[in-house]
Amino acid sequence: MIMQSEFKSLREIPPIDYYTAGRRTCAGCGPAIGYRLISKAAGPNTIFIGPTGCMYVANAHQFLTSPYSVPWHHTQLGGGGAAAIGIASALRTLMLKGKRKPEDINVIVMGGDGAMADIGLSGLSMGLSYDYQRLLYIVYDNEGYMNTGVQASSTTPWGATTTFTPSGKVKPLGNTRYKKNVALIAASHPNVKYVATATLWPPLDLMNKVVRALNSGGPSVIHALFPCPKGWFTSPADTVMLSKLAVETGMWVLWELIEGQFKLNYRPNPRKHVREYLSLQGRFRHLKDEDIDKMDKMIEEEWFYWNESAKQEKLILPY
Amino acid sequence: MSSEIKNIPPVAIEKPKFKVWNGARAIAEAVKVADVDVISAYPIRPYTGIMNALASMIANGEFIADVVIADSEHSQFEIVKHASAVGARTFVGSSGVGLAYAAEAIIVTALSQLPVVGAIGTRALDDPGNFGMEWSDVLMFRDYGWLISWAKTVQEAHDMTLVAYRVAEDKRVLLPHFVVLDGAALTHVATPIVPVTKEQATDFLPPYKPPYRIDPIDGPVTKAQHIAPSLIGPEQRKLVDVATKRAKEVIVEAWKDFATYTGREYPPFIEAIGMEDADFALIGMGAYMKDIEIVAKRMREKGVKIGTIRLRYVRPFPAEDLLRVIDGVKAAGVIEFGYSFGSPFGTGSLYHEIATSLYETNTRPELLDFLFLGGREPKVEHFMKAAEMIIESVHKKPQKKAYWLTLRGEDI
Repeated sequence: MIMQSEFKSLREIPPIDYYTAGRRTCAGCGPAIGYRLISKAAGPNTIFIGPTGCMYVANAHQFLTSPYSVPWHHTQLGGGGAAAIGIASALRTLMLKGKRKPEDINVIVMGGDGAMADIGLSGLSMGLSYDYQRLLYIVYDNEGYMNTGVQASSTTPWGATTTFTPSGKVKPLGNTRYKKNVALIAASHPNVKYVATATLWPPLDLMNKVVRALNSGGPSVIHALFPCPKGWFTSPADTVMLSKLAVETGMWVLWELIEGQFKLNYRPNPRKHVREYLSLQGRFRHLKDEDIDKMDKMIEEEWFYWNESAKQEKLILPY
Repeated sequence: MSSEIKNIPPVAIEKPKFKVWNGARAIAEAVKVADVDVISAYPIRPYTGIMNALASMIANGEFIADVVIADSEHSQFEIVKHASAVGARTFVGSSGVGLAYAAEAIIVTALSQLPVVGAIGTRALDDPGNFGMEWSDVLMFRDYGWLISWAKTVQEAHDMTLVAYRVAEDKRVLLPHFVVLDGAALTHVATPIVPVTKEQATDFLPPYKPPYRIDPIDGPVTKAQHIAPSLIGPEQRKLVDVATKRAKEVIVEAWKDFATYTGREYPPFIEAIGMEDADFALIGMGAYMKDIEIVAKRMREKGVKIGTIRLRYVRPFPAEDLLRVIDGVKAAGVIEFGYSFGSPFGTGSLYHEIATSLYETNTRPELLDFLFLGGREPKVEHFMKAAEMIIESVHKKPQKKAYWLTLRGEDI
């Protein structure tokens, strides 16, 4: 099989979809748009693993239909890391023993932030310690447990309200924990060939990162921010714009680490104030001006390290 | 499936070659001749020896398989579950709290009908940490569709592993299968056994071919999609139920074929010794049945009509076979290492299964329960005491149903 090469323009994106109709995701669902782009980039010789999460529950349930036109298997909420290793191990061993025709097959886990950053972090880490090729873990990060009714995860941003971190009279802030950076955790595994962050914008950035990850020669991780109209209290029409604003305000940093070499993909210049990103989202409505300014300052401080990393082409911990 | 079986090569049973192996090694050797593809390991005593043995076999090139070292038992069972879905023959195992940690992955493997084979070296659950033997770890997984067989000897553990693959992968069944070895008593005790040869195993065990693989070669298969309960909720459960029921005939068939290939015959579900004319019976499972059989033999020599009933499978539970062999018995005692705190009359898990089966008979024997809990090892005199108590129960109605015979202090 010929390996998919990078897409140079939107015109090169194949018209065929591997994530199609037969689902009941929300209008403007970020992860659903992401799924579509990722599966297009990966192509037909792909197995998807779906740990429990909104992309599990919302992709069927009422209908005995499947939106996937490639093989797909559910795994438990914390099982993403292990399930992919099981599949990759089986394919490689069966090919090695002559029980299956040798072929390049992509194994992609579409795990949410809960499935990858919380309950499945240990399994993800184990997966990244192996050397199976064409193995990609996508952490689709909508910053909370959305299908259970918007609860905080360890990637929920500081100051966001969720049903577990409501803004109240005594605790006005909402979520007081800082967002966990899964891509940085992934980058600390010596065997990982490719780590990147992405979002829905620019779409070619996301798709080409999928191609690069799958061709990287080892296990890889893409930590992708996918806005969630339901959990972020945003308009379904704003999903892609929010992705763009997250990047332009510096709230979400697009970078990749190719065999240890750091590359900053986008530098907002001038960087927009984070207010532009936050003000569209109901989950930040309770924040005071000083909270928003504090957040902008934190971003500013963090960016010193991203710039420094870009200069040195080496990852420096921004905290 | 039986039509595909070739005739038995007569040379294979002529000269048995003995090997002195402990239970762990014996299981590993069975996994080797079964040509397993993916093995997933995580350490916990006492089952770990199986994985140690497999790892060294693979390191020495004795057979080709991928040993994936998992980060937890949960991952361990998820790995083999998904490898099985792709079409690999898999092996896994655990003990005690390791199984408890993996519970979610263990349950979905059965309800997804993936024929993983796992070995359990039984162990007491925490707290406090305890290397002793109890059955509560295995019996936690009685209710979810795993087939569970229980070995008495190292030889049987070895043979059961091969039969487990044959039954689990049969298209009429497609369920995962635990082979249980009593911790320490079997896992760590070496005895001479006759191994199944590679040729015998190849003939006995057809290649694993799942009906719908998770592999692009088989097209877009979607598995374990989320469903609204009203759609296929009960029907899906019924499929698993039917598979466990079908497993009964497949198990009988498999052991019959196994005897043809190896010359070793086993009664498929129940080993009954001295039960033809018995007034009394001791019922149990696993390695300690050897001691219990000695007790029954000694009492027979004194003229007591006592026999033993050993269950080789707890799932599917052989209720019909049990009723057949227990018919005519006046009093019976269950010897067990598993418990359910707060249970009816303070009885153990195996007792419940047996009592439920006996409810269907008109002439129910007096049934007592002898519990060996917390891992303290029982001695022959404890089983002797149990036998004496069931004999006495016929003359004098016992005060209670369950007795903790290894307990120090008052058995309240």
